[in-house]
Amino acid sequence: MTLALADRPGQLLRALEPIAKNGGNIISIIHERDKPSEGYVPVSLVVDFPTEENFKRTRASLEKMGIIIIKSEEVFERVSATFILVGRIDVRKMIESKIGGARIKNLEVSAPTSKEASVRLDVEVSVDSIDELLRELKRIADEEEAVLISSL
Amino acid sequence: MNLIVVGFGFIGRNLIRAIRTKLDIIRGIDGEFRIVGVSDRRGFLYDKDGLDIERLSAMDELHDYGGAYHEGDQSIQLIEESEADVMVEATPTNIRDGEPGLTHIREALMRGIHVVTSNKGPLVVAFRELRELAERNKCEFRFEGTVAGAIPVFSLVRECLQGDRIVRISGILNGTTNYILSKMYFEGTSFDIALKEAQERGFTERDPSYDVDGIDAACKVVILANALMGRNAKFKDVERIGIRRITPEAMSLARKANYAIKLIGTVDEHLEVAPKLVPINHPLCVHGNLNALHIVTDLAGELTLVGYGAGRETVSAVLNDVISILKVKEPRS
Repeated sequence: MTLALADRPGQLLRALEPIAKNGGNIISIIHERDKPSEGYVPVSLVVDFPTEENFKRTRASLEKMGIIIIKSEEVFERVSATFILVGRIDVRKMIESKIGGARIKNLEVSAPTSKEASVRLDVEVSVDSIDELLRELKRIADEEEAVLISSL
Repeated sequence: MNLIVVGFGFIGRNLIRAIRTKLDIIRGIDGEFRIVGVSDRRGFLYDKDGLDIERLSAMDELHDYGGAYHEGDQSIQLIEESEADVMVEATPTNIRDGEPGLTHIREALMRGIHVVTSNKGPLVVAFRELRELAERNKCEFRFEGTVAGAIPVFSLVRECLQGDRIVRISGILNGTTNYILSKMYFEGTSFDIALKEAQERGFTERDPSYDVDGIDAACKVVILANALMGRNAKFKDVERIGIRRITPEAMSLARKANYAIKLIGTVDEHLEVAPKLVPINHPLCVHGNLNALHIVTDLAGELTLVGYGAGRETVSAVLNDVISILKVKEPRS
């Protein structure tokens, strides 16, 4: 995120306090002193927070303190996961349901000889929402009377 | 000490044969070791001075032994009358009510007889009751052979992980389904063909549901949860999906993504038996009729044990349980 800090001593330290309190691990700080504008200096920070909630609380604290947030962007740690479903599966419906906010990287369907189709889904999902994804896929499998095979 | 063997089926017979070949080791621990009784469904053999182990181990039927055979008498009479120190209970598993094994084990423990069993039924139905009964009567109650055959999971945890808390156990707990799934994985065969071959090789019963619907694996999940994680779980607490609906296409899709499909039993907050995608480089990814257990603990981290889960190898677990008791317990006066 990029903050606009008043060009006075002690302002950076003040801004870092809520980050530290919320368990944020500062990866980098760029203090752009060469770009001051109307008494404010832009400071760009890359911070690793343990959860999304910590990030939200930090942002709220900064705003409460009157610190201007010029830009903030969240990048969630994502993991890959693979699932196989066996049954009569409506693939389009499954994709449209957005399955727990996961990004589908690859989808392979195979049903040359069996009565039931087999579908493999390779997805990318944020660490926080993997349980939600699993619940969603279980719900789909139950609805379609399909067998869900998840990773170990 | 005096041993009785209740049940003269596959395990009972092979245990007695193993005792014969290991008699030097056993007598080295307990010079007074004797087998005083053996029973089957139709009657029992009893000799208070000890049966002839050589003769016993050569027999397929108890009545061939001759004089000491009490035809028509029940195993329970042997337990009541034999004044044995240790009983091996090796009757067939019945997960509905645990019988007749449950009655045998209750009766033995109430009489102060140490119990070793390879029979899952009584443990699935009444684990907590039996463990408490054993404690009250100061008896050893060992059941290594009930889960993953020759793999010493209970001994390992009891002896070597005494300070650890078990966080999760997952594993391949049924060799027959592993055989079928391995066949499908390597040869691309259908479930039906792989099952037929397993039946022809005698790995599964004519009604294979006990294996392929995950019933056997679920029983083992219950025993692991109760014995190693202090639960009071019952069979109905296990969420269970079998392998009947695994298609060759599903297996091929898994394989292309570097996974194999295995029937996995899991014990954590949740008890489950279900087909899972196991990465081919994961230590649980073993094939054929092998079993494997992956244990996660707070101190040791991850441990994996691999071995044979059924068949003659199970005798190793039963015999070790017997020997452990000979080592720590004194015979009854």
